[in-house]
Amino acid sequence: MARYAMVTDLTKCVACQACTVACNAEWGVPAGYARTRVRSTPISGTFPHLASGVYVAQCNQCDRPPCVEACPSGATSQGANGIVEVDKSLCIGCGFCLDACPYDARYINPVTKKVDKCDFCLARLERGAEPACVTTCTAHAKYFGDLEDRHSDVFKMVYAMGARRMETSRVRVGPNVYYAGEQARADLVMAAFPPRPPRLLAAGEAWSRVLKPLVLAAVGATFVGQAVAFFNQLRNGEKDFED
Amino acid sequence: MRTDAVPVRPLPLTSEQAEAMLQRHVKKHHIAIILLHWFNALVWGSELLTGLALISSPLFRVAPSWYISLVEGIFGSRANVLQIHVALGLSWIGVYLVYGIFGFRTYLSREVLQHEIALDRDDVRWLIVRTQRILGWTSEPLPPQGIYNAGQKLFAFLVYTMIPVVMASGVVMAFRLFGTQVVGWAVVVHFGAAGLVVSGLMIHVYMGAVFPEEKPAFFSMITGTVNELYAYSHHFKWWTIVKAEEGVWDRQHDDETGHPADIAGPTEPVRPE
Repeated sequence: MARYAMVTDLTKCVACQACTVACNAEWGVPAGYARTRVRSTPISGTFPHLASGVYVAQCNQCDRPPCVEACPSGATSQGANGIVEVDKSLCIGCGFCLDACPYDARYINPVTKKVDKCDFCLARLERGAEPACVTTCTAHAKYFGDLEDRHSDVFKMVYAMGARRMETSRVRVGPNVYYAGEQARADLVMAAFPPRPPRLLAAGEAWSRVLKPLVLAAVGATFVGQAVAFFNQLRNGEKDFED
Repeated sequence: MRTDAVPVRPLPLTSEQAEAMLQRHVKKHHIAIILLHWFNALVWGSELLTGLALISSPLFRVAPSWYISLVEGIFGSRANVLQIHVALGLSWIGVYLVYGIFGFRTYLSREVLQHEIALDRDDVRWLIVRTQRILGWTSEPLPPQGIYNAGQKLFAFLVYTMIPVVMASGVVMAFRLFGTQVVGWAVVVHFGAAGLVVSGLMIHVYMGAVFPEEKPAFFSMITGTVNELYAYSHHFKWWTIVKAEEGVWDRQHDDETGHPADIAGPTEPVRPE
């Protein structure tokens, strides 16, 4: 099975947003929302030694996706190829996954009220095409491929040229969107757009920590009480009530 | 009506009296209530079985994963399970709306709520004695009860309060109303309210279907009637009301028993305490 990954070359990207437009057109993303969006870091340094970088905010199809665990209904799941998919027919729009994502890569579609995010253009992959953003990239800064294929561009960029994951010591979820380019520029991007620790909404906390044990205890206690009663009933034998 | 002649608690019956009362039937449930009860039971059963299979995250789920796969297999896909769960829930709401619109004066009158939900002193005592008797700690007789015993009243209170909560939170989820924050809490509330009802439901089903002393109550949900002996020994206060409605307490009394001569009753004089 494939293990898909995407690499953005920071030295080539000019933040033209052609990928954003292609993605929005491909998936009918409503205005004001995006599955992928190029964000620029503030310019740092003093003239003439200025530096800036770009960050592509999209789903990282993480190896250990916190959104999958946070989804109560099973709408978010991870395929064998590593792609984190959203089954729209199961999404109930509770928003637990939005808070779980360290990269804030998800949005709620205002029309359907269901969650949407990048899935590496899974539908295009299935018919043999590359993701829309990769095809459209004006600077050829985006690479897509299979990390298990030694001859793929992404394999070379990740394992030979040292493309980096956007991870910190606090957040290690195994993102599969990598950044290639000079070390200094990657550091700049990392400092400007660090992943945040996954969160569980208060509702989710209340559910998993309080309500679930409470309900299990109530049902369990009732069951035990009834088992005792039933045992007594068997021991005493059945009597008609008028006796 | 000579209230001083109305007995306050059931007394031992002779076997002839018991036999005679066993043959007479008292109407307990209207056909509309019987139909609603079994429709409600069907919906709760199906919604619980499908609902359990819809929570799959290890953080929240209470059913084992094999159960979830099993239900998915039965219905073909998880999306089908969700659709059935929602469709059944919405039709359930529809039926309750019809009942609510046409029957709220009958089913939700102050009198009904007072008799069928509010606990009196006997009821509180009944809860204690009933539990002790089931556990085999005492053989103290149960305090007299109205048309519903205290356990049924508590369950009715739970159901009356939780059904609207389950319905409202379900609708919020089904149509994803009011934004993610509200939907997020609706999932949790839906689970909690259903969970509370289930712990009560287990007792309800056990008492109705398994527990031998309450078997007439179970069959009354099919035939609508109970035998008079059951009404007399289990729902004594209701039995006195039924008799009052029959005009029994107005008729000529047998001064020895405090009961009209033409019905079976206690074998010794009864006076209010």
